[in-house]
Amino acid sequence: MVYVRGRIKRGRRMNQDPLFSSAGELANFVVASNLIDYDLAKNFEFQRCQTAFPCSVQPMVYHPTPNRTIVVFIPSPDCTQYPLPEGGDLVPSPEFKFLCTKECPSVSINRAALTLFLSLHDHLSGLKAQLTEREGQLIITGHSLGGSVASLFTLYLLDSMDKKRKCRPICITFGSPLIGNFGLQHSQWNSFFLHLVSNKDPVPGLFLPSSHSQTTVYKPFGTYLFCSELGCACFDNPDLILKLLAVISSEVAGGLLQVVDYGEILRNLKNKAIWKGPQLAGERFTEPFSAGIIMKLETIGFDQTKLLQHNIDIRRMEAEARSLTKKTKASDIKELNDIKKYMALLEWYKKKSKDAKKGYYDCFKSGEFRRDIAVGEFMGHLNAYWEDMVAEAQWKPQTEGASFRTGWLFSGTTYRRMVEPLDIAAFYRDGGTDYINNGRSQHYKLLQQWYEEDAKPPSRDQLDSRKEKVSALLTEDSCFWAYVEEAILSCESLKNANSSPEQRESSWDNLVMFGEYVMEQIENYAVSPEIFLEESSFMKWWGEYEDYIDTNRNFYSSRLVNFTKRSSYKQYGRRAI
Amino acid sequence: MGETVGNLIGLNDEVIHPAATLAVEAHNSPSKQFLVKRIKIRHDLSSVVVFAFSGSMLPKDWSGQPTFAKTEIATGEFRSLTSLNDGGDAVVNGSFLRRFKDVIGNLSKAKELKEATEKKRQVVFAGYSSGGPIAILATLYFLEKQTPSPRCLTFGSPLVGDRIFGHALRREGWSDYFTHFVMKYDIIPRIMLSPSSTEHEQILDYFKSKFDRKNINPAPPSGFYLTVMGNASSVASYEACRLMGCRNPSLDIIKSFIELSPYRPSGTYVFCTGNGNLVVVKNPNAVLQILVHCAELGESNTAEVEKRSLDEHSAYLSELKDCLGMQAVVSLDGGLATATLNDLGLSPQAMLCLQAAEEFENRRSRNLENFREYLEKVEVELEKMRKYKENAQICRLGYYDSFKLQNEEDDFLANVSRLELAGIWDEIKEMLKEFELPDDFEKKREIIDLGTKYRRLVEPLDIANFYRHSKDKETGAYVIGGGPRPKRYRFIQRWLEHDEKKSFGSRSESLFWADVEQLGIDIKKKGYLQEIEEKIQQVERNLIAWIGDRSLDDDVLLENSTFVKWWRDLPPQHKPESDRIEKLIGEKEKAAGV
Repeated sequence: MVYVRGRIKRGRRMNQDPLFSSAGELANFVVASNLIDYDLAKNFEFQRCQTAFPCSVQPMVYHPTPNRTIVVFIPSPDCTQYPLPEGGDLVPSPEFKFLCTKECPSVSINRAALTLFLSLHDHLSGLKAQLTEREGQLIITGHSLGGSVASLFTLYLLDSMDKKRKCRPICITFGSPLIGNFGLQHSQWNSFFLHLVSNKDPVPGLFLPSSHSQTTVYKPFGTYLFCSELGCACFDNPDLILKLLAVISSEVAGGLLQVVDYGEILRNLKNKAIWKGPQLAGERFTEPFSAGIIMKLETIGFDQTKLLQHNIDIRRMEAEARSLTKKTKASDIKELNDIKKYMALLEWYKKKSKDAKKGYYDCFKSGEFRRDIAVGEFMGHLNAYWEDMVAEAQWKPQTEGASFRTGWLFSGTTYRRMVEPLDIAAFYRDGGTDYINNGRSQHYKLLQQWYEEDAKPPSRDQLDSRKEKVSALLTEDSCFWAYVEEAILSCESLKNANSSPEQRESSWDNLVMFGEYVMEQIENYAVSPEIFLEESSFMKWWGEYEDYIDTNRNFYSSRLVNFTKRSSYKQYGRRAI
Repeated sequence: MGETVGNLIGLNDEVIHPAATLAVEAHNSPSKQFLVKRIKIRHDLSSVVVFAFSGSMLPKDWSGQPTFAKTEIATGEFRSLTSLNDGGDAVVNGSFLRRFKDVIGNLSKAKELKEATEKKRQVVFAGYSSGGPIAILATLYFLEKQTPSPRCLTFGSPLVGDRIFGHALRREGWSDYFTHFVMKYDIIPRIMLSPSSTEHEQILDYFKSKFDRKNINPAPPSGFYLTVMGNASSVASYEACRLMGCRNPSLDIIKSFIELSPYRPSGTYVFCTGNGNLVVVKNPNAVLQILVHCAELGESNTAEVEKRSLDEHSAYLSELKDCLGMQAVVSLDGGLATATLNDLGLSPQAMLCLQAAEEFENRRSRNLENFREYLEKVEVELEKMRKYKENAQICRLGYYDSFKLQNEEDDFLANVSRLELAGIWDEIKEMLKEFELPDDFEKKREIIDLGTKYRRLVEPLDIANFYRHSKDKETGAYVIGGGPRPKRYRFIQRWLEHDEKKSFGSRSESLFWADVEQLGIDIKKKGYLQEIEEKIQQVERNLIAWIGDRSLDDDVLLENSTFVKWWRDLPPQHKPESDRIEKLIGEKEKAAGV
């Protein structure tokens, strides 16, 4: 399940050994700071004032400072004591469809949380409008089911919020149950959620099966801050979080749901933050990562025996952490420059091939020269890079993925138009047929789909400027050469004495369609004039095709036939000079 | 072991205790801005002159607006205290800076200082408590002026500057001149890690009455320890997360909701453990972790520790008397010694933080080592570029114009080299931003030279590429503050300017082509306006000066170059330096002809 991005592995890795776990330090950073006191105090103050409603959640907005807004979702008391009248079943939710990812194609939400959220829907859309206007810090918080609604509201807000908004919200929940089947591991949104869970609180893990042979569809997201009387630790590994929640729930079970006082827990943690603990440092640690994790798990009540009993493997976590070695901005930039370099090298290859009157498509297909082999290597780098970029976009929630890719779709399109012809060349060189259905890689399809979603039809002016520049442009349809290859195969089939009449008919239809297609491309200045180079596959096809028409269908005429026979193509693309 | 503090910090042991005594005395003599004392060293009969500064416990002298009295310092007398890599200027506590400015006039004029300089005596600036920041700033002031390096000794001083402050000190190689003595629990060296609050005022009030009326024991405040150390602990944990390479992006989000103190330790720290041992630490990240973790609560109750945190601020003289000269000094920088850590009383979690701090420093050195191979690659690519430039001259065109035309294979290969080099320097730039390279990287002679060579040789090609694709239509001129000019060149130029102590923007010879191109475009668009006239003259003057000092290659003067063509097209009245430039062009022609 763990998706390790190839790009990270490929990037130049600076020496990272040994590795540390910041589980303890991140938790300490949070509790020792003044982030949580204020809203927490308010949270429970309001809760106490609540009279015994039937189970419901009330949002409450206030501004402790001019720069800070806090939204608290206050659950009614019976709601905290019996948080889940309807149990833990998940229902599909079209309202949160925007959370769909490749990993989770349909989103389901816990029924109780969703019902509460939807009952407030009108109120919340007003609140959303009001909050998106405001500048400054926004904290959204709640206890138990109040926290679930706070999470849903935060997601709802994130989806519609302007990306450029200076301050983003943070959602802090206290002892809230899991809410859905979606994870956010590959989304930036993941970092906006902080969930506090006491090791005495069974509510967060309530829906999880008590035995670890059973699996669950619930997925946690965000960072979990687990706390005990002795201290606290932060984790963001979903598998580990699920295990810890399940163990806590099963241990505290027995039906005794007593409300955990997070205010008191926090007060204690603040004291613990500046407390050395019972033992002093001995030797230095030879394996700091596992030492840190073990120490912190012990603090929150999971000693070695318990870890063993519940099959919690620290070695595996360490291996995962290593494989995900922090990707630095520096290596990112290096990689981006490398990609530019490979594109420049390909451009040169294209120019050289043009000088050889063959075009880079056919040069690569015939693979005569040493440089054709080197090109294969550049392609490899470029393909790996873009496959990763596409995958990364797919692992994000829909709306976020869309804005993520706008930043690079332009370069991605240039890449697709430059490199896909080479993949097509290799495919047909190796004897493949029907590239579109049998050979085309998913990432090209998506790059094209996204491009077409965003693209607008060209205006008159743009067409004129394309006409001027067409000699320097890349063929727009990156599958152009696949159609050419299919047309060649159709010609062969027509000439083949063994072909059945049906085959001939479909081949002829194919050729008629292809002719229309090519002409349309030419009229839109969407193909590079390089297709008309003497030794190109396109011209080879034309030769065969012309031959066939001349001998078999002498009176056939189409726009393409006229265009080519009149040698108009020799003018195509000349203007630019 | 076997070393004394003096050995480790490069100052005679005999100076330290008298300096501390003078510092305490000066602190409690508000009527005088500073006290001076000459200390004779017994074994070589040399003298050290100590200046010690008075202090103030008034809250207004410790805090101010905006929060933490944050003030950017890098102007005039503190020009080095800045990041050369977009990190901004160093931030210091503005209240301390104000007090320093009150003192510096008289201090500069002090006859003892002149005498010390004349007789080549070592000068030491010392400060106790709030006298410490003044000593630190005074030392920096004279280091900037390049007077014979003064030393700085502080005792229980609050923190003065932020991360950039410490980075700049280490970059300039000044860090070793500063030594700070800190007692294990003393609250004052930690107080600036927490925002000013009523707790701050209680603490300062307490010390004020204690220092003012020496014999009366005022009632100590209580309840402050949790607030002050809680905030300090949050700062230390945040830094530990960064040292440990925390991958959780929530860290940055959470950080944006918390205002942490910007102040961080810099210089050498000497921790007095209270049992006669001294621990010397230079790694600034380790200092921060020790500062916070060794004052954590242990077995004793909070009230006890709280009282100790106040008492120890007055215990420097007795503590130092006992342990100076003794050999019970351990330096932590050679590795973490268990025995010493026990003296400091650190928890296992603190031990992990220290290991992370140590590892971070090691990683920076390793990164530098890894860069050797990178820098070799830069040399190789630059050599290719140099040959390309040489060959281009044969066509009497110059590589700038040849590259702009992109007709030959050589031009294309040069473009690949350009991209290759851009990748390497961009990576260096990002690593510097993340502090992943040693602090003095930007001060290293070989790096500045290599960078300058790269900038002068390759930036013209970036400019050629820019104007070849008429990118100015999309982004505006190449050289606009924060505009399209790649940041790597801006930084590399800054390294040189900083090194030569020149003003920002004075070493822009690599931008010659951009000026020429942009002027050509502007003249076409607007004609000969007054401002353009001035710019033409500036370009002429620059050309003469840069060709003169060889920072610009004379291939710009080739007959067919963009520059010569453009310049020839200017009407004569716009070319005041006509004769000199014609002469230069003529000389170049002759040389090229041969």
